[in-house]
This record gives sequence, structure tokens and C-alpha cells, in this order.
Amino acid sequence: MTPEAKKDFEDRIQTYVGREISARKRGLDDVNKVMVRQWCEVMGDNNPVYTDEEFAARSSKGGLIAPPTMLQVWGMEGYSMANEPKEDLQRELHKIFDAQGYSGVLGTNCDLEFKRDLRPGDQVYAREVIESISEQKATSRGLGYFIETRTVFTDQSGEEVGNMKFRVLKFVPDQATQDAAAGAGESEKVAAPTRIHSPRGHDNAWWWEAVDQGKVLIQRCKSCQTLRHPPRPMCGECQSMEWDSIESALQGTVFSFTQIHYPKVPGYQYPLVCAVISLNEGTRLVANVVGCDPEDVTIGMPVKGVVEQVDEATMLPQFYPAG
Amino acid sequence: MTISVTDKTAIVGVGNTEFSKNSGVSELSLAVEAIRIALDDAGLKPGDVDGLCTFTMDSSDEIEVARALGCNDLTFYSRVPYGGGAATGTLHQAVMAVATGMATTVVCYRALNGRSGHRFSGGVSGDIITADAMHWGWYTPYGLMTPASWVAMFTQRYMHLSGCTRDALFEVAWTTRNHAANNPAAFFHNRTFDRAEYDSQKKICDPLTLYDCCQESDGGSAVVITTAERARDLRQPGVLVKGVAQCAARDMEQMTSFYREEIAAIPEMDIAAGQAYAQCGLTPDDIDAAVIYDAFTPIVLWQLESWGFCKYGEAADFVLDGGLRLDGRLPTNTHGGQLSEAYVHGINGIVEAARLVRGTSVNQPKKSVQHALVTSGVGVPTGGALLGAMT
Amino acid sequence: MTNHTTRTYDAVSVGDKLPPLVIPITASLIVGGAIATRDYTPVHHDKAAAQAGGLPDIFMNILTSTALMGRFVTDWAGPDCTLKSSSIKLGAPNLPGFVMTITGEVKAMDAADGSVEVVVEGENDVWGTHMQGTVRVALPREA
Repeated sequence: MTPEAKKDFEDRIQTYVGREISARKRGLDDVNKVMVRQWCEVMGDNNPVYTDEEFAARSSKGGLIAPPTMLQVWGMEGYSMANEPKEDLQRELHKIFDAQGYSGVLGTNCDLEFKRDLRPGDQVYAREVIESISEQKATSRGLGYFIETRTVFTDQSGEEVGNMKFRVLKFVPDQATQDAAAGAGESEKVAAPTRIHSPRGHDNAWWWEAVDQGKVLIQRCKSCQTLRHPPRPMCGECQSMEWDSIESALQGTVFSFTQIHYPKVPGYQYPLVCAVISLNEGTRLVANVVGCDPEDVTIGMPVKGVVEQVDEATMLPQFYPAG
Repeated sequence: MTISVTDKTAIVGVGNTEFSKNSGVSELSLAVEAIRIALDDAGLKPGDVDGLCTFTMDSSDEIEVARALGCNDLTFYSRVPYGGGAATGTLHQAVMAVATGMATTVVCYRALNGRSGHRFSGGVSGDIITADAMHWGWYTPYGLMTPASWVAMFTQRYMHLSGCTRDALFEVAWTTRNHAANNPAAFFHNRTFDRAEYDSQKKICDPLTLYDCCQESDGGSAVVITTAERARDLRQPGVLVKGVAQCAARDMEQMTSFYREEIAAIPEMDIAAGQAYAQCGLTPDDIDAAVIYDAFTPIVLWQLESWGFCKYGEAADFVLDGGLRLDGRLPTNTHGGQLSEAYVHGINGIVEAARLVRGTSVNQPKKSVQHALVTSGVGVPTGGALLGAMT
Repeated sequence: MTNHTTRTYDAVSVGDKLPPLVIPITASLIVGGAIATRDYTPVHHDKAAAQAGGLPDIFMNILTSTALMGRFVTDWAGPDCTLKSSSIKLGAPNLPGFVMTITGEVKAMDAADGSVEVVVEGENDVWGTHMQGTVRVALPREA
């Protein structure tokens, strides 16, 4: 889009802000026990005030109520959404986005406020307005705009029972992800990720291969016997390129540490503590400290390591507090 | 030092683009816009530029920049590695080129879509396969893979040794935020915070929480360097480069120097500071204001010690005495720093340091600023520069 | 839920952690949740439609996520509690085969109306944070 075209587009979408998507309209179904029970069944919600008439009558609710988070359900359009969604102002706005390539749509936020419990027999009326459209944002799904709508729910006597702010992202779907998605075969499942492995090359593969076998090695200069870690091709003390290794006893102390809170990376187990360990052999090693409350890790704490399988594909040294 | 660079060159133009979370334009576009603003500031034309210098991390090639801007023949182009460690490193290159006559007018630039494009908080996981992927491979399997996590490891150790608490980190964050609140170009213009808000932010990597970390930003910054003689004829008062140095100290790694005898230290900055002071004969007492690289709050403390404003382990006291405030001993990061103005890899810091010497910062301290310090990022090979007014 | 007693306001403190709830995500739960919330948007029941939108499979709709978040809090609070509000922000989608773990912590309490604010996070084992949000629930006082 040229800057002019972008401005025209943005001016046009902004004209929708403040307009009513639907006037106050009664939901297709009034609040009823059947839909509530089916909803509870799927959600695994066994709260007896939703489905157990006797219990509900004796409770502070004085009778059955509908799950408050069903509020939006009473105003849903239903099966036509799958085939021919009804033409309303929201559709019209979405089509303007679609025409510019912002064809993806994703519900991102929903804020609900509940004013009173709904009971079987209550009628729910909804009135929906387009409240705002954001500036263009760079999101993890692609470039897009957030559209926020506000719905006020009222009952048969016109009293507000609750309200909702709903935010959707209209975005440009990434072609590469789309192609990759379509390429995923019928039987293929998205696999649980493992930890990110180190690439292995001439200077480090032998070290990781030993870890795969349950051992932590420390590189040693054959000429001057100096230990070094991480491995390097030459000894910085005597410039010899001849080396062998010793196996670490994995005993040492915590030299420094940090508990990782954010971002949480898929494949890693949190709480997660990373530490620089001073090994008794004299070299240091970065690894995880496990087996205790992260709050209890201190600098100077004695630790004992063991090489463990931490996920389906990964062996790593992990250090535990040493008594 | 057989050839002195002191007072041979001057910063004559500075420029920033708008800082944002979504520039909507290419990094090349940000680069050439920042350079054009810097050249306008100096009263120079693209055709006057014969040298360019940026970061190895920058995506805008020198010749693409030159072509887009309409520069003439380039006789000097160079890049400096190690992320934010390159900030004053680019100045170091430019000064050497101009002082030795390899070029007459060199522009240092950096432009990035650091929020809408590749984000630093994404860390070094997954899709980045570079020559140093093996180096990161010693850390990523354990989950240590973001700049915040590496800095946190040093910070925990530093706090343990020095007795520094989060009070000092808060003071760094709060002071720079107050400066930004007064800077219309800053993300946090008009948005201050108090201790309660600081303490309630989400944890990133202990002991760092959200406000201890800089802004991921889209933006570009540029500075123009030419000879001191030529500077006298230009539009703005020249800002002399008195001393400039960089250092990669013994046994360091990129962001993960965990294997030196003491890790709660930045010896490379100590050495660069010693060199820069030695070049021009200035001492810490001569420095009136500073722009200290602040990707994270604790790194400001360590640099105050490296540059001799206090002894090792005493930076917390220095800042808690109000040392960084406008009326303090060393007004620092008067633009809001990278914590609160924008993270443009420290080149926006050189812009601000030049403004401090010119007397045109939005938060210009009341006292006269004859000399200002500006530094590069730490944890990596780094450096800094001492700037001074033209007399 | 076999225990039908309700937690009282006075028995709760800021910082209390709720018992985690582990929910295996299946195609049945995704489709069942979509239909139970009358959300017939194709991406929640039709794999081809989901793939056209850039995801490898159908994914959970926001009404189901909201329902699970509410259930997580009311399971803990008990049947005499009253939900006052809920606010959800979605992150990575929930796809069949994933396992979501919901955790929560009491972040604030308001003695005036006896309500407590629970911060909730749902994380799946493949792509990480699926949802973050806040549920406000009023609890009865000690009898």
C-alpha cells in the first residue's frame, strides 16, 4: 500500500467507530437448563448451582443459575456463522479489511462484567457497538488492526445484566505459515518441543556426545595439563593443540545464578534456575539448579550434579543442593 | 600513543528519527532519514559525506545508504561488531579515519526495527544460525538465552559482593524515566512512575524486573564527524572528541564472560576508560554530565565505577545520593536513556551527549557542561568517548 | 468437584495460589466447546478452514477458554461464590494434542465488597502461554 492508500484505508475504517452493529435484540434462546447442562458437560464444570436443582435451592443462590461466563452465548448467531454469516455492520467492516489483505481474524481479548446472575427463563437482549479501531500494529501473527466492540446485555425488564468488551485482530496471514499449515498431513500432530540444542561442530561435538552418554568432560591440555571450558582448539597458556579430557565429578558451588521468568520458552520447564557452577576441578560450567525452591538458591551453595534426561531428546547436567 | 586524535575531530551534526513500536518503514529508510536529519543539522549535504560507519548487526549496507542518500565517492567504510558494544566504536572508527585524513566527513549510523522486526527479547533461540551459534549453545539448552538473563547472572553476583540492593536499580530507572517524561521524543514522555509501580512490574530474570530493562524500539540515529577546522565553519557549534577508546579484555565472551576470576566486573570498560582519559589528560573530576549505556539498570552502576566516578562497589551509594539527577554530581541519561527514550543501540546516546555539550538537551543541567562522557554497551567488547566544547 | 463447601473471604490471603488444573486439549473438547458456546466459526471445527488461516489444525475458541478460566476459579471458590468479572487475553492457540495447565494466584482483595481478584494463566506444553487474565469473584464472610 502507498502511504496515500494507507491513509484512505485508515480514514475509511475509522468512520465505523461509534456505530451500532446491532440494535438491542433478543437472543435466539432464552436462558435454559438444556444449554446450561450441555455447556457444563463439555467444560467439565460440576458446580451444582448450575445443574442440581435441589442443591441450588438450598444454596445462597436460592435456585438454579446459569454460568456467568455463558453471557455471550445467549446472543450468538449460531449455525449460519459456518456458511452464510449474516450481513451486518461488522461483516461490512471486515470485508473492507479483507479487500486490503487483512483477511485473518482472531479473537484476542474478552472482558466480561456480570451485574446479576441469570436464571432459567430470563431473556437476554444484546446491543453491540464498534468502540475503537487501533493504529496498525506489528503482532506475532502479522501486521494488523485491533477492532474493539462493546456489548451491553439487558433482561426482559430492560435492566443491564452484564456487558462485554471484545477485541479481534484483523491481520495479514503470513503466506509461509499458511503454506506450512496446509502441508501438515492428516496424521501429523504438532509435537511437544524439546529444549534447544547446541549445534555440534569440530570443537564441541565430543563434549555433547559425552553428555549424551551421561558424562561431563573437561578439556585438558596434553602439554601443560591446564583444564579449559568451554572447549577451544588451542591452549591459551602454551598454545598446544594437543588435548585430552577428564571426567568431572560434578561437585562444586554456585558462583552466580538467575531465575528465568520471562519470556517462557516452550520446551523448558519453569520455575527455571540457571547458574554458573564452580566445579571442584577448577573450571566453571553453566547449568540448571533443580531439586529445591528457587528462592533457596544462594551464591556459595554446595551442589552436586548429575547428567539427566530432561525431555524426550535432551540430556543435560542438572545440579542439586548437596546436603 | 604516537599519534594523538584529541581535538582533531568534532561531532558537527546529530539526528534521530521518530522512535516508535512500529515504524512501518524499512530499516534502510530509518537509516537514511536519520542521516539526512544529522546532515541538515550540520548544514552539510550528502555529497559532502565520504565515509560511513555502522554496526555489523545493522541491516543497511553502506553503499545502499550512500546510493539512497546521494552520497559522493566513499573512501572509508567500516563496521564494528558486538551489538551495543559498537556504539562509540563507530565514533572510534570515524575519528581515526578523519584524524588520519582517510576521509573528511564520516557519518556513524544505526537503524533498526527492534520492536516490529527482530526483537531482542526473543533471544538467541531457534532460527538464528550464525558462526557463534556454538557459543550460544553452551547456554540455550539451559534456558539462558536473552540479554536480560545474561546481565542478571552478573547482577546477582555484583549485588552479593557489593551489598547493592534494588533501591539503587530503582534510582537508575526512576531518574532516567523522569528525564524522559520531559522529552517529547521519548516513549515515556509525560509518564513517570513511583516505587510501588516499579515493584509491581513483572519479573524478567531475577533480580531484574520489567522497568530494569530498556525499550524494544524502531528508530534510527546518526552523528556526523569531520575535522575540527572544518567544524568551525559549520552551522552548529562543534563538539570535540577529546578521547575515544575500545577494548576487548582478556578471556571475555560475547555477553557470557562467566569464566574470568571475577564476573561481577567489566575490565574491558576499565581499560577503555583509562585509555580515553590518558589520550586527553582529563580526569573524572572534569566530566560534567554523561550518557551511560543503559540497556539494563545495573550496567549503569558498573560503568560509573569503570569511569572513576566512585570506587568498586560504591556505585549504589553514588546513585542513591542523587548523583545521576539533574542537580547531582553527574547528570546522566538526560534524554531518558535507552530505558525510557528508545533503544537505538546507543547512537541516540551520542546524539544526546553532543547536545549536552552544545547546551541543547531538553533537560540541560543548570551547570555549564564543558565535558561529557558517552559509553557503549557492556558484557561485550566495549568502549566510550569523552566529548568537549570547542573553545 | 465433590467438595461443595465455599471458601470464605476471611480464609483467603493475597498471594494464595490456586490448585493447578491440567486440561488435555482434544479435537472433541475444541469442537464440543465451540458448539456448546454456539460458536460455529469454521476454524473451530473444520481443519481445512483452520489451515487456510495459517494454523495446522482446529483451535479452541475464546468462549471455551473463558469458560475454563471461570471454572478454574469457581472450582476453587465454591458454589456460593459470585463471579463479578473476567478478563482474558489470548496468546498461543490450543490445538488437539496439547496439554494446558491453568495456574492462578490471588493478587488483590477488596474488603468493601468481599471480592478477591485472581490472576490466571493457562499455558500449553507446546507453544507456551495460551491465556492470561483476571477473574474477580465475591466470597461470603465467616458465618
